[in-house]
Amino acid sequence: MLNYLIRRLVVIVMMAFIISFASFALLYSAPGGPLEQLASLQSTTRRPDPDEVERIMKRYDLDLTIGVRFLRWLVGHPRGSIVVGGQEIAPNLQVGCLKPGKAQLVYPDGRIEEIDCAKPVYLRDLGGRPVSNGVITLDFGRSQQLAREQPVSQLISTRLAPTLLLMGLSTFLAIIIAVPVGVYSAVKQYSRFDYFFTTLAFFGSGMPTLFTGVMGILIFALIFKNLGLPYLPAALAESNRDVVIPLFGLIQAGSVGDRIWHLILPVSVLTFFSLAGWTRFIRSSMLEVLRQDYVRTARAKGLIERVVIMKHALRNALIPFVTLLAGVLPTLFGGAIITESVFSWPGIGKLFINSLVASDYPVAIAYLLISTFLTLVGFLVSDVLYTIVDPRIRMS
Amino acid sequence: MASTTADLPAASRGLNLRKPEGQWSIVLRRFRRHRLAMISLFVLAMIFIASLLAPILAPFGRDATSLAPRFSPPLTVNAQTGTTHILGVDHVGRDFFTRLLYAARITLSVAFSVATAATLLGMTLGALAGYFRGIVDSIVMRILEFMASIPDFPILLIIASILITDPKLLPYPPFLLDIIGNLMLLNSVGAERAQVLTMIVVLTLFGWTGAARLMRGMVLSVRERDFIESARSLGANNARIILRHVVPNSFPPLVVAYTLSLAGALTAETALSFLGVGITDPTPTWGNMLQFATNFMLTNPWVPLIPGIPVVLCSLGFNFIGDGLRDALDPRLKM
Repeated sequence: MLNYLIRRLVVIVMMAFIISFASFALLYSAPGGPLEQLASLQSTTRRPDPDEVERIMKRYDLDLTIGVRFLRWLVGHPRGSIVVGGQEIAPNLQVGCLKPGKAQLVYPDGRIEEIDCAKPVYLRDLGGRPVSNGVITLDFGRSQQLAREQPVSQLISTRLAPTLLLMGLSTFLAIIIAVPVGVYSAVKQYSRFDYFFTTLAFFGSGMPTLFTGVMGILIFALIFKNLGLPYLPAALAESNRDVVIPLFGLIQAGSVGDRIWHLILPVSVLTFFSLAGWTRFIRSSMLEVLRQDYVRTARAKGLIERVVIMKHALRNALIPFVTLLAGVLPTLFGGAIITESVFSWPGIGKLFINSLVASDYPVAIAYLLISTFLTLVGFLVSDVLYTIVDPRIRMS
Repeated sequence: MASTTADLPAASRGLNLRKPEGQWSIVLRRFRRHRLAMISLFVLAMIFIASLLAPILAPFGRDATSLAPRFSPPLTVNAQTGTTHILGVDHVGRDFFTRLLYAARITLSVAFSVATAATLLGMTLGALAGYFRGIVDSIVMRILEFMASIPDFPILLIIASILITDPKLLPYPPFLLDIIGNLMLLNSVGAERAQVLTMIVVLTLFGWTGAARLMRGMVLSVRERDFIESARSLGANNARIILRHVVPNSFPPLVVAYTLSLAGALTAETALSFLGVGITDPTPTWGNMLQFATNFMLTNPWVPLIPGIPVVLCSLGFNFIGDGLRDALDPRLKM
């Protein structure tokens, strides 16, 4: 078990490194960074000012070679020349180029060297530059477009609570509803109840949240409001000002009631969507278990049906359920990108899609890295949980 | 010749007249029993025919703007030409019905291209991995494991947003662009064709894993059977064994997976275009039409229904057909 855990942790660290390098390479090659934004701002009035271009290149490390940039991004080093015991090491190591072009270096001893860079950047020049503490310490740098110069980690942490609330609540509700429905469907297989919920589940999983969300807004926010019925809000997580809803009365902006009022529609949409998968999973898992010999044995020794179902069947049917629970971990953080966009929910999924549309790659990469890490951890947790709930399985 | 049949007893002639029911007619009969799948097949066929006939059915040009006021309601008569805007006019004065037809053509073509390419790619890799085992298998399996342990939707979004903002990033052969352009009636000027092709490529790259895993599993179970052994002893080579014996025997679950991947590709394309990192206006797709519709739905509530209903009909339709096929092809797989 311990060996297994260590091996898995090593794999996780390796995967995280590969993903972080790949995502950094994406970031490095992606178009539409701060320089292009500057160019598009200035092209209408004047040509890009060379000083300003240099300032921006220095600010975002755009002048450095990819290896150095990756190191600075990952661990926050090098920051200027490396000093070992009062001795500077390689202060003149070229680490980048501020301005491409031909140039001649004239050495004091009269040697002339031709280089391909008009303004080389040396290791010692990195001294005064602002740098993050590195992704390793969860410092993802600063946002480039969405909220200029605001740390990405701060941007994400302000969005964490709404996403956790939305995802946590909808997942919880989906499971709470899915377990009894799935169990009952399996016990009364091919009954009217089973048929109804299987079809409903099919509709739930077949309809994109895009559609159900928009329809929800249309019906419960627009039509209900026009008809003078108690309506639900179409967007955001809380109101800007107090609202009076018919038959219910005043809702104060920012109060608990206001937040719950805003949660109803997005949570319902997400619950309806994920309910389908959970119900189907529980139902088929339960059907599988009900066919087992030990269930027949339990019935044969005269146990009442409720005990057979709840104790003998359900507990075993929930074993594979554990693996699904672990998959929930990354989605709790990552949010539902589409649902959050439909409802303008101020969560992490919406932040991610905003950062992509605005080409704010540090934010997007931070999101990606955290999701990947949580996905990997989720797999590990599910494996470990599996051995705990099912003693037949041994990790090796 | 006639006498040889004539002198047989009448009874035995009658016995052999009815051919035994073939596998496909059994499948067809079972499929017909699935009512929702049959309805879906009918609805999808209608949408499909409408999208094929888009240039004939469309009363206006795809990007032509009319002088009718923005968001004129359905059945507004165009003052210039006297033609009716059946579903009204969008936010820049283009005919909704026309754009819906062209969007159907683009969205469905993308879905079919992605599902077909991804299934073929997955089948090939899965079959090779399962049949030859060894190094091919471990490479394919490592890739599959890697793809399974990354959050694919965010990565899909990032890659789409990078490639689609700059569609000329990938060098496409001109003939491929021409095929795409003619199939989906795209403008040849601008990056319209490259953008749609990028969408197909990106979705395919993320869509093949399911088919590969399925195919590999099927091949692993089929390759140990006796009939493969007998085919080999009769002198069949690997290619023949894979194509004539292994693939047909793995067919039923693959057909089901293909239908379901159609639904997946359709919703993925719609979602990307809706989120603004997919196919962009003026190329119409249901996704980007829905995006604009939601921006204006507070004042024009009927607008999101126009692209929304076909999306949900197709998504549900493909799912139901997949379900019907699963019941028909292999009753043991029934949920």
